[in-house]
Amino acid sequence: MKINIAKYYPLIPVYAVYLTMFLVGFFVPGLWQLVALLAFYCALGQSWNIFMGMTGYVDFGYVTFIALGTYGMALGITYFSQFPGLGIAIIFIGLLLALFLSTLSAILEAGIALRLRGAYFAIACIGINEGLRHLIEGAKIWGGSEGMLYWKELTEVFGTETAIQLTTLWADIAVFIIAAMAAFINVYYMRSKIGYALTAIREDEDAAKVMGIDTTKYKTIAFLTSGWLGALVGAMAWGLKLTHVFPADVFVIHYTVECIVIVVLGGIGTLLGPLVGGLIYGLSKYWLAIILPGFQLLIFAPIIICIIIAFPEGVIGVVKRRVKGTRLERYII
Amino acid sequence: MILELLAGNLIHGLLLGCVYGLSTMGLSLIFGVLKVINVGHGPFIMVGAFVTLAMVTIFGTAPPVAIPAALVVGMALGFAFFYTVMRRLIKAPEFTTLLVTFAIGILLQEVVKFTFGAEYRGYNWEVGKIILTITTIPMTKVYASIGSIIIALLLYLWFNKTRIGTAVRAVVEDSEGARVCGVNVDRIYALSFAIAIGLTVMSGVFLTMFIPVGINPYMGGVYTLKAFVIAVLGGLTSPYGAFFAGLIFGLIENGAYVLFAQIPGVAPFSLTVSLAFWMLFLLLLIKPTGLLGAK
Amino acid sequence: MALLRLENITKRFGGLVAVNDVSLEIEAGESIGIVGPNGSGKTTLYNVISGVYPPEQGRIFFEGKDITNLPAHRRAPMGIGRTFQIPRPFSSASVRENVAVGAMFGTLSGKVSVDECSEIAEHYIELVGLQAHKDKDSGTLTPVEKKLMEIARALAMKPKLLLMDEAMAGMHPRDIDDMVKFLKKIKEDEDITIVSMVEHIMRAVAGFAERVMVMYRGAKLIDAPTAKALSDPRVIDVYLGRPTGEGEDAEG
Repeated sequence: MKINIAKYYPLIPVYAVYLTMFLVGFFVPGLWQLVALLAFYCALGQSWNIFMGMTGYVDFGYVTFIALGTYGMALGITYFSQFPGLGIAIIFIGLLLALFLSTLSAILEAGIALRLRGAYFAIACIGINEGLRHLIEGAKIWGGSEGMLYWKELTEVFGTETAIQLTTLWADIAVFIIAAMAAFINVYYMRSKIGYALTAIREDEDAAKVMGIDTTKYKTIAFLTSGWLGALVGAMAWGLKLTHVFPADVFVIHYTVECIVIVVLGGIGTLLGPLVGGLIYGLSKYWLAIILPGFQLLIFAPIIICIIIAFPEGVIGVVKRRVKGTRLERYII
Repeated sequence: MILELLAGNLIHGLLLGCVYGLSTMGLSLIFGVLKVINVGHGPFIMVGAFVTLAMVTIFGTAPPVAIPAALVVGMALGFAFFYTVMRRLIKAPEFTTLLVTFAIGILLQEVVKFTFGAEYRGYNWEVGKIILTITTIPMTKVYASIGSIIIALLLYLWFNKTRIGTAVRAVVEDSEGARVCGVNVDRIYALSFAIAIGLTVMSGVFLTMFIPVGINPYMGGVYTLKAFVIAVLGGLTSPYGAFFAGLIFGLIENGAYVLFAQIPGVAPFSLTVSLAFWMLFLLLLIKPTGLLGAK
Repeated sequence: MALLRLENITKRFGGLVAVNDVSLEIEAGESIGIVGPNGSGKTTLYNVISGVYPPEQGRIFFEGKDITNLPAHRRAPMGIGRTFQIPRPFSSASVRENVAVGAMFGTLSGKVSVDECSEIAEHYIELVGLQAHKDKDSGTLTPVEKKLMEIARALAMKPKLLLMDEAMAGMHPRDIDDMVKFLKKIKEDEDITIVSMVEHIMRAVAGFAERVMVMYRGAKLIDAPTAKALSDPRVIDVYLGRPTGEGEDAEG
């Protein structure tokens, strides 16, 4: 089958931005942490966009995937560090566990929640998130509310030097890679049958069914992909980077809301949107924390309300309309 | 032994259930009328708690005096948020309404935090207690429950015996139909939103009468989640359904706690909360079509 | 073997019997009109055929296969296409993308690439005369254009059976004549069996359908060649609301 390269042109600006971010962070002293934070937000935005942006379903429990990804990494490092000789493989085992756990919860949610629409779907997802969190705390699974700490295990396997390298550098680089993957998957889906099906589902699900679209199948594909990417981000950006996990820290709806804000700011259902939104959100949050520590939320909340009411289509939504019919059009979706 | 404990707890659960019921009616009313889930529901309950705290500690009044004050504050907030924000989001996609109501909740939390501080507070109000063989019930809890029932009854009368209440029910059923029949739907939207927020803030007063400690700007989150469970249990669009679901929820919550506490090596409180959400999940699983209703 | 066979279909909504014991056979290559006043159960019958909901009683066979309990999305690839009474475009997608969806998930599903679907879409967009609008968001079209787009979308599915729901309502009489001609041509060129449902534009039915089934209050009133059906006194009664109906409004 011939591959139409032109379809992937929109990735050029995305990867250019990521490369610039990476180089700036790598070579300008003191900026790595900020760049890593931005990459985290962009990666989350893009991962979340795959499901929500294309189907219009609001997965308010998205943070469940990130949280379970974190637990996957925590379990990988904690339990497999006991086997000598595994070395770096425990990180990959952690990633596999992250995928495994997120698949389980995705099946739970997809099997049931995806049959519900609108408000009921949002509530069911929140329900699963809270149910899992309190189940872990209540039944004292994986350390219960005391969580898991595994810096010691990490140093035992890799030595302090490498452990520091892993948590402060490689975890962040991995987030960049996941972000790049998420961008590619976004474009791939948008330009394939899946994207057409998801758009049809977003606009009119019943009509989509009559047109021959197996709505459950396509929703599940998008949901799983989105969940897996979220779990990978969680495994790296939280699991490996922080070397601890507490249920009360990770199953927090606030993070879902951050994802929504990022995607909506940038432009829902677009490729560049989550990237632009992630940058705007990350930078302004970082900046507000410096100039007005403690007041970020107080300032953010009204601004977000105003932006959503005034520009529901987001930055890229507006740009897209502007470039329609020009040569830039093929690069911006 | 355990049966006595269970019975005692169930009494408390029933009393608390009344307050839960009242605190969820606003959520159901907003969903019924505007088709919007108020994700910032809990923070409005928190506002009610702080209204009470302010009345008691600053003005030295008894907590029940805060009830009308909370209603006024709540309705004022309701009208304000409706005309500035919600009015523009009536037919908007879900993500905008969810995001905006969540942001409103955060805004309330932060404003309260900067006014009152973030620490946990409480107040004292001693008005005697009822001593039964199985348990002891402070009168404050009894008053809170009776108060909740009275407010719910008043709402019922307003819904069923007044012209405007009937109009609200018509809008819940079919807003376009109501519009055709000459109902000023936009006014009904505004009024229902304000009344719903008023109810929610007011329920915060009753909640502090029930649990007069732990008042802090971030206390609302857990009530948002409980209200979701209760609202779905009650059918989501029906305020009375919500009230009775509140009773059931109060009973289950308090009963389950006693039973979970018998299992060694678990945290019964968290398990109880967890159970609530699995209940919600099961409910949505068993009755998705019924709850979805006619599209 | 009939292309579509309905056996004693009954569909209720609560206490209301929307379709009452309707049987119908459609042979491949026929043009059939389904006629009836507002609320006579026509759209419900369409929904049962296309799989929006299952009937309470009765069976549906398509090309001899029992599809009664098949979900909607499995029926379209078998060759059942339809349009809607009130057009349902995928509003944020362009006309071309809308029509491409038809090609992608219809009977060609799995046999054509996305690019090929786009080409198929172009063909049908031109056929219905919307080429000037192909890159517009479908939500911005006029109601008549939306109807045309839906026809293109349904045709791109390459269906064996095309169910058209009030395709000509709201059209100028001259356009109706054009549409009738168009449908006749399509039927020959594409080898499609067309069922066209109309409320009361008899001009469209008379010009197009060889056979007409008249529905009244959920039940089949008559199933006969067009001229005979439309001159049947019972049918005239239904539309003028004389003995059978008490003030049934024929305006819709």
